[in-house]
Amino acid sequence: MRSFVLKAGATLVAVGATVASSLYVTAHLKNPAAPLRPAVLNAGRAGTVSLLGGSVSVGPSVQPGDAQPVTSTYAS
Amino acid sequence: MCSLFGVGLAPGTLSMGEAWVRGMGARLTRFSNESELSRVNASAGRWVELSGEMEEVLREALRAYELSAGLVNVAVLPSMEAIGYTRSLSVGPAVAALDRAKPLPRLPEVLEVGRGRARVLPGSAIDLGGIAKGWMADRLCARLGANVLANLGGDLRATGPGPAGDGWPVGVAGVTLMLRDQGAATSSVRKRRWGDLHHLIDPRTGLPSRSGLDEVSVVAETGAQAEVVAKTALLLGPELAPAYCAANALAWWLGESLDD
Repeated sequence: MRSFVLKAGATLVAVGATVASSLYVTAHLKNPAAPLRPAVLNAGRAGTVSLLGGSVSVGPSVQPGDAQPVTSTYAS
Repeated sequence: MCSLFGVGLAPGTLSMGEAWVRGMGARLTRFSNESELSRVNASAGRWVELSGEMEEVLREALRAYELSAGLVNVAVLPSMEAIGYTRSLSVGPAVAALDRAKPLPRLPEVLEVGRGRARVLPGSAIDLGGIAKGWMADRLCARLGANVLANLGGDLRATGPGPAGDGWPVGVAGVTLMLRDQGAATSSVRKRRWGDLHHLIDPRTGLPSRSGLDEVSVVAETGAQAEVVAKTALLLGPELAPAYCAANALAWWLGESLDD
Protein backbone atom coordinates (compact mmCIF):
# COMPACT_ATOMS: atom_id res chain seq x y z
CA MET A 1 0.00 0.00 0.00
CA ARG A 2 2.76 2.35 0.92
CA SER A 3 4.65 1.74 -2.28
CA PHE A 4 1.45 2.36 -4.25
CA VAL A 5 0.97 5.70 -2.50
CA LEU A 6 4.54 6.67 -3.25
CA LYS A 7 4.26 5.76 -6.89
CA ALA A 8 0.94 7.56 -7.24
CA GLY A 9 2.39 10.65 -5.62
CA ALA A 10 5.42 10.67 -7.89
CA THR A 11 3.18 10.23 -10.90
CA LEU A 12 0.98 13.11 -9.81
CA VAL A 13 4.03 15.35 -9.35
CA ALA A 14 5.38 14.44 -12.77
CA VAL A 15 2.03 15.03 -14.45
CA GLY A 16 1.56 18.28 -12.61
CA ALA A 17 5.00 19.52 -13.63
CA THR A 18 4.33 18.59 -17.22
CA VAL A 19 1.02 20.41 -17.28
CA ALA A 20 2.51 23.51 -15.62
CA SER A 21 5.44 23.55 -18.03
CA SER A 22 3.23 23.27 -21.07
CA LEU A 23 1.03 26.08 -19.82
CA TYR A 24 4.10 28.28 -19.30
CA VAL A 25 5.61 27.50 -22.69
CA THR A 26 2.41 28.12 -24.60
CA ALA A 27 2.03 31.48 -22.86
CA HIS A 28 5.54 32.55 -23.99
CA LEU A 29 5.66 31.64 -27.66
CA LYS A 30 8.14 33.64 -29.75
CA ASN A 31 6.53 36.46 -31.66
CA PRO A 32 7.66 36.09 -35.27
CA ALA A 33 7.35 39.87 -35.68
CA ALA A 34 9.73 40.61 -32.79
CA PRO A 35 12.70 42.80 -33.80
CA LEU A 36 16.08 41.13 -33.84
CA ARG A 37 17.96 44.25 -32.78
CA PRO A 38 17.42 46.51 -29.80
CA ALA A 39 15.16 49.44 -30.54
CA VAL A 40 17.95 51.84 -29.73
CA LEU A 41 19.70 50.95 -32.98
CA ASN A 42 16.57 51.39 -35.07
CA ALA A 43 15.13 54.63 -33.79
CA GLY A 44 17.34 56.43 -31.34
CA ARG A 45 16.60 59.41 -29.17
CA ALA A 46 17.53 61.72 -32.03
CA GLY A 47 14.65 60.43 -34.18
CA THR A 48 15.00 61.17 -37.86
CA VAL A 49 18.48 62.53 -38.31
CA SER A 50 19.65 64.90 -40.99
CA LEU A 51 23.18 65.89 -41.88
CA LEU A 52 24.10 69.52 -41.45
CA GLY A 53 27.13 70.91 -43.21
CA GLY A 54 27.79 67.40 -44.48
CA SER A 55 28.95 66.09 -41.15
CA VAL A 56 26.84 67.17 -38.15
CA SER A 57 23.99 64.77 -37.39
CA VAL A 58 20.95 66.68 -36.14
CA GLY A 59 17.69 65.31 -34.77
CA PRO A 60 14.33 67.07 -35.09
CA SER A 61 14.53 68.72 -31.65
CA VAL A 62 17.63 70.70 -32.64
CA GLN A 63 17.27 73.47 -35.20
CA PRO A 64 20.06 74.91 -37.31
CA GLY A 65 20.37 78.66 -37.48
CA ASP A 66 21.91 81.47 -39.50
CA ALA A 67 22.51 83.82 -36.58
CA GLN A 68 26.04 84.53 -35.42
CA PRO A 69 26.69 82.20 -32.48
CA VAL A 70 27.10 83.91 -29.12
CA THR A 71 29.47 81.17 -27.95
CA SER A 72 30.66 77.70 -28.88
CA THR A 73 31.61 74.39 -27.39
CA TYR A 74 35.21 75.05 -28.43
CA ALA A 75 35.64 77.59 -25.63
CA SER A 76 38.22 76.34 -23.14
CA MET B 1 36.73 80.11 -18.68
CA CYS B 2 33.13 81.06 -17.99
CA SER B 3 30.78 82.92 -20.34
CA LEU B 4 27.28 83.82 -19.17
CA PHE B 5 24.44 85.30 -21.21
CA GLY B 6 20.97 86.27 -20.08
CA VAL B 7 17.84 88.02 -21.27
CA GLY B 8 15.63 89.95 -18.88
CA LEU B 9 17.88 89.47 -15.85
CA ALA B 10 18.16 91.82 -12.92
CA PRO B 11 21.35 93.92 -12.81
CA GLY B 12 24.22 92.09 -11.18
CA THR B 13 22.80 88.63 -11.81
CA LEU B 14 25.52 87.59 -14.23
CA SER B 15 28.21 88.93 -11.88
CA MET B 16 26.75 86.82 -9.08
CA GLY B 17 26.90 83.84 -11.40
CA GLU B 18 30.55 84.47 -12.15
CA ALA B 19 31.31 84.73 -8.44
CA TRP B 20 29.56 81.41 -7.83
CA VAL B 21 31.64 79.82 -10.59
CA ARG B 22 34.87 81.10 -9.04
CA GLY B 23 33.85 79.81 -5.64
CA MET B 24 32.90 76.39 -6.97
CA GLY B 25 36.09 76.23 -9.00
CA ALA B 26 38.16 76.76 -5.88
CA ARG B 27 36.30 73.92 -4.13
CA LEU B 28 36.43 71.44 -7.01
CA THR B 29 40.01 71.91 -8.22
CA ARG B 30 42.57 69.20 -7.59
CA PHE B 31 45.39 71.74 -7.94
CA SER B 32 44.90 73.09 -4.42
CA ASN B 33 45.45 71.13 -1.22
CA GLU B 34 42.82 73.34 0.43
CA SER B 35 39.99 72.45 -1.93
CA GLU B 36 37.04 70.31 -0.90
CA LEU B 37 37.98 67.80 -3.61
CA SER B 38 41.50 67.46 -2.21
CA ARG B 39 40.05 66.79 1.26
CA VAL B 40 37.95 63.98 -0.21
CA ASN B 41 40.97 62.57 -2.04
CA ALA B 42 43.00 62.66 1.16
CA SER B 43 40.32 60.77 3.09
CA ALA B 44 42.16 57.43 2.74
CA GLY B 45 38.98 55.51 3.35
CA ARG B 46 37.63 57.69 6.16
CA TRP B 47 34.30 59.42 5.83
CA VAL B 48 34.64 63.14 5.03
CA GLU B 49 31.83 65.64 5.51
CA LEU B 50 30.66 67.31 2.31
CA SER B 51 28.79 70.40 1.26
CA GLY B 52 25.47 69.78 -0.48
CA GLU B 53 26.93 70.89 -3.79
CA MET B 54 29.93 68.60 -3.54
CA GLU B 55 27.63 65.69 -2.78
CA GLU B 56 25.61 66.53 -5.91
CA VAL B 57 28.73 66.61 -8.08
CA LEU B 58 29.96 63.27 -6.75
CA ARG B 59 26.56 61.67 -7.34
CA GLU B 60 26.64 63.14 -10.87
CA ALA B 61 30.01 61.42 -11.34
CA LEU B 62 28.52 58.10 -10.28
CA ARG B 63 25.61 58.58 -12.69
CA ALA B 64 28.07 59.41 -15.47
CA TYR B 65 29.86 56.14 -14.79
CA GLU B 66 26.60 54.22 -15.24
CA LEU B 67 25.48 56.16 -18.35
CA SER B 68 28.84 55.55 -19.99
CA ALA B 69 29.08 51.88 -18.98
CA GLY B 70 32.24 52.76 -17.06
CA LEU B 71 34.02 54.80 -19.73
CA VAL B 72 33.59 58.09 -17.89
CA ASN B 73 35.37 57.35 -14.66
CA VAL B 74 36.49 60.13 -12.34
CA ALA B 75 38.87 57.77 -10.47
CA VAL B 76 41.36 58.91 -13.06
CA LEU B 77 43.71 61.07 -11.01
CA PRO B 78 46.53 58.51 -10.58
CA SER B 79 46.67 58.08 -14.36
CA MET B 80 46.57 61.82 -14.94
CA GLU B 81 49.56 62.20 -12.66
CA ALA B 82 51.36 59.30 -14.29
CA ILE B 83 51.18 61.00 -17.68
CA GLY B 84 52.57 64.21 -16.19
CA TYR B 85 49.34 66.18 -15.70
CA THR B 86 50.18 66.99 -12.11
CA ARG B 87 49.62 70.73 -12.34
CA SER B 88 47.86 73.26 -14.51
CA LEU B 89 49.09 72.95 -18.10
CA SER B 90 49.66 76.69 -18.15
CA VAL B 91 52.90 75.96 -16.26
CA GLY B 92 53.68 72.92 -18.38
CA PRO B 93 53.36 69.20 -17.72
CA ALA B 94 55.63 67.27 -15.38
CA VAL B 95 57.76 64.33 -16.52
CA ALA B 96 55.58 61.35 -17.39
CA ALA B 97 55.95 57.97 -15.71
CA LEU B 98 53.78 55.84 -17.97
CA ASP B 99 54.75 52.60 -16.24
CA ARG B 100 52.68 53.79 -13.28
CA ALA B 101 49.52 54.10 -15.35
CA LYS B 102 47.08 51.21 -14.81
CA PRO B 103 43.51 50.41 -15.87
CA LEU B 104 41.10 52.29 -13.66
CA PRO B 105 39.20 50.57 -10.86
CA ARG B 106 35.40 50.44 -11.01
CA LEU B 107 34.26 53.78 -9.65
CA PRO B 108 31.60 52.46 -7.25
CA GLU B 109 34.28 50.30 -5.64
CA VAL B 110 36.54 53.24 -4.77
CA LEU B 111 34.10 56.14 -4.30
CA GLU B 112 31.27 55.92 -1.81
CA VAL B 113 28.83 58.80 -1.33
CA GLY B 114 26.48 58.98 1.64
CA ARG B 115 24.18 61.71 2.90
CA GLY B 116 26.47 64.66 3.45
CA ARG B 117 29.65 62.58 3.35
CA ALA B 118 31.92 60.61 1.06
CA ARG B 119 35.06 58.53 1.13
CA VAL B 120 37.64 57.38 -1.37
CA LEU B 121 39.49 54.12 -1.02
CA PRO B 122 43.20 54.42 -0.11
CA GLY B 123 45.32 54.41 -3.22
CA SER B 124 42.57 55.94 -5.33
CA ALA B 125 41.83 59.57 -6.14
CA ILE B 126 39.33 61.42 -8.29
CA ASP B 127 39.41 64.32 -10.71
CA LEU B 128 36.04 65.82 -11.57
CA GLY B 129 37.08 67.57 -14.79
CA GLY B 130 34.32 67.86 -17.32
CA ILE B 131 31.72 66.34 -14.99
CA ALA B 132 32.01 69.44 -12.81
CA LYS B 133 31.77 71.81 -15.79
CA GLY B 134 28.61 70.25 -17.18
CA TRP B 135 26.99 70.10 -13.75
CA MET B 136 27.92 73.72 -13.04
CA ALA B 137 26.47 74.90 -16.37
CA ASP B 138 23.17 73.19 -15.54
CA ARG B 139 23.08 74.61 -11.99
CA LEU B 140 23.93 78.10 -13.20
CA CYS B 141 21.02 78.17 -15.59
CA ALA B 142 18.69 77.06 -12.82
CA ARG B 143 20.05 79.79 -10.51
CA LEU B 144 20.24 82.72 -12.89
CA GLY B 145 16.88 82.83 -14.65
CA ALA B 146 14.54 81.51 -17.28
CA ASN B 147 16.37 82.72 -20.39
CA VAL B 148 20.07 82.04 -19.84
CA LEU B 149 23.08 80.45 -21.47
CA ALA B 150 26.04 79.32 -19.37
CA ASN B 151 29.26 78.11 -20.96
CA LEU B 152 31.84 76.64 -18.61
CA GLY B 153 34.95 75.95 -20.64
CA GLY B 154 32.99 74.48 -23.56
CA ASP B 155 30.38 72.57 -21.52
CA LEU B 156 27.23 74.60 -21.83
CA ARG B 157 23.52 74.72 -21.08
CA ALA B 158 20.92 76.95 -22.70
CA THR B 159 17.49 77.55 -21.22
CA GLY B 160 14.59 79.60 -22.51
CA PRO B 161 13.86 81.08 -25.93
CA GLY B 162 17.13 82.97 -26.33
CA PRO B 163 17.71 86.56 -27.46
CA ALA B 164 15.35 86.50 -30.46
CA GLY B 165 12.82 83.89 -29.35
CA ASP B 166 14.05 81.07 -31.58
CA GLY B 167 16.69 79.61 -29.29
CA TRP B 168 20.25 80.40 -28.28
CA PRO B 169 22.64 80.39 -31.28
CA VAL B 170 25.59 78.18 -30.36
CA GLY B 171 28.55 77.12 -32.47
CA VAL B 172 28.86 73.32 -32.53
CA ALA B 173 31.42 71.70 -34.83
CA GLY B 174 31.47 74.67 -37.16
CA VAL B 175 27.71 75.07 -37.59
CA THR B 176 25.22 77.19 -35.67
CA LEU B 177 22.54 75.32 -33.74
CA MET B 178 19.65 77.03 -31.99
CA LEU B 179 19.45 75.47 -28.53
CA ARG B 180 16.38 75.64 -26.32
CA ASP B 181 16.58 73.93 -22.92
CA GLN B 182 19.46 71.80 -24.11
CA GLY B 183 23.11 71.27 -23.32
CA ALA B 184 26.17 70.85 -25.52
CA ALA B 185 29.80 69.85 -25.14
CA THR B 186 32.87 69.02 -27.18
CA SER B 187 35.29 66.36 -26.01
CA SER B 188 38.69 66.73 -27.64
CA VAL B 189 42.21 65.40 -27.44
CA ARG B 190 43.50 68.16 -29.69
CA LYS B 191 43.64 70.99 -27.19
CA ARG B 192 45.17 69.83 -23.89
CA ARG B 193 47.94 67.91 -25.54
CA TRP B 194 51.74 67.71 -25.15
CA GLY B 195 53.79 65.57 -27.48
CA ASP B 196 52.07 62.19 -27.88
CA LEU B 197 50.17 62.60 -24.62
CA HIS B 198 46.88 64.31 -23.85
CA HIS B 199 44.47 64.58 -20.95
CA LEU B 200 41.66 62.23 -21.99
CA ILE B 201 42.36 58.92 -20.27
CA ASP B 202 40.90 55.64 -21.51
CA PRO B 203 39.86 53.86 -18.28
CA ARG B 204 40.45 50.47 -19.89
CA THR B 205 44.19 51.15 -20.16
CA GLY B 206 44.87 54.05 -17.84
CA LEU B 207 46.61 55.79 -20.76
CA PRO B 208 45.56 58.58 -23.14
CA SER B 209 42.82 57.47 -25.53
CA ARG B 210 43.77 56.11 -28.94
CA SER B 211 40.28 55.34 -30.19
CA GLY B 212 40.52 56.74 -33.69
CA LEU B 213 38.40 59.75 -32.76
CA ASP B 214 40.04 63.04 -31.79
CA GLU B 215 36.98 65.16 -31.19
CA VAL B 216 33.28 64.64 -30.56
CA SER B 217 30.64 67.36 -30.21
CA VAL B 218 27.23 66.53 -28.79
CA VAL B 219 23.92 68.24 -28.02
CA ALA B 220 21.90 66.56 -25.27
CA GLU B 221 19.15 67.38 -22.79
CA THR B 222 21.56 68.81 -20.20
CA GLY B 223 25.12 70.06 -20.03
CA ALA B 224 26.12 67.18 -17.80
CA GLN B 225 24.67 64.63 -20.18
CA ALA B 226 26.32 66.27 -23.21
CA GLU B 227 29.69 66.06 -21.48
CA VAL B 228 29.26 62.37 -20.65
CA VAL B 229 27.96 61.39 -24.10
CA ALA B 230 30.70 63.30 -25.92
CA LYS B 231 33.46 61.74 -23.87
CA THR B 232 31.97 58.26 -24.07
CA ALA B 233 31.56 58.49 -27.84
CA LEU B 234 35.17 59.62 -28.26
CA LEU B 235 36.42 56.70 -26.20
CA LEU B 236 34.21 54.23 -28.09
CA GLY B 237 35.80 55.15 -31.40
CA PRO B 238 34.41 55.53 -34.92
CA GLU B 239 32.84 52.06 -35.14
CA LEU B 240 30.59 52.28 -32.07
CA ALA B 241 30.20 56.02 -31.52
CA PRO B 242 27.47 56.60 -34.16
CA ALA B 243 25.05 54.11 -32.58
CA TYR B 244 25.83 55.36 -29.08
CA CYS B 245 25.21 58.96 -30.13
CA ALA B 246 22.01 58.04 -31.95
CA ALA B 247 20.73 56.53 -28.69
CA ASN B 248 21.89 59.25 -26.32
CA ALA B 249 22.33 62.55 -28.16
CA LEU B 250 20.09 65.05 -29.94
CA ALA B 251 22.85 66.12 -32.36
CA TRP B 252 26.46 65.04 -32.78
CA TRP B 253 29.63 65.35 -34.80
CA LEU B 254 32.51 62.89 -34.83
CA GLY B 255 36.03 64.06 -35.69
CA GLU B 256 38.33 61.25 -36.74
CA SER B 257 41.94 61.15 -35.68
CA LEU B 258 44.43 63.19 -37.67
CA ASP B 259 47.23 60.84 -36.60
CA ASP B 260 48.27 57.91 -38.81
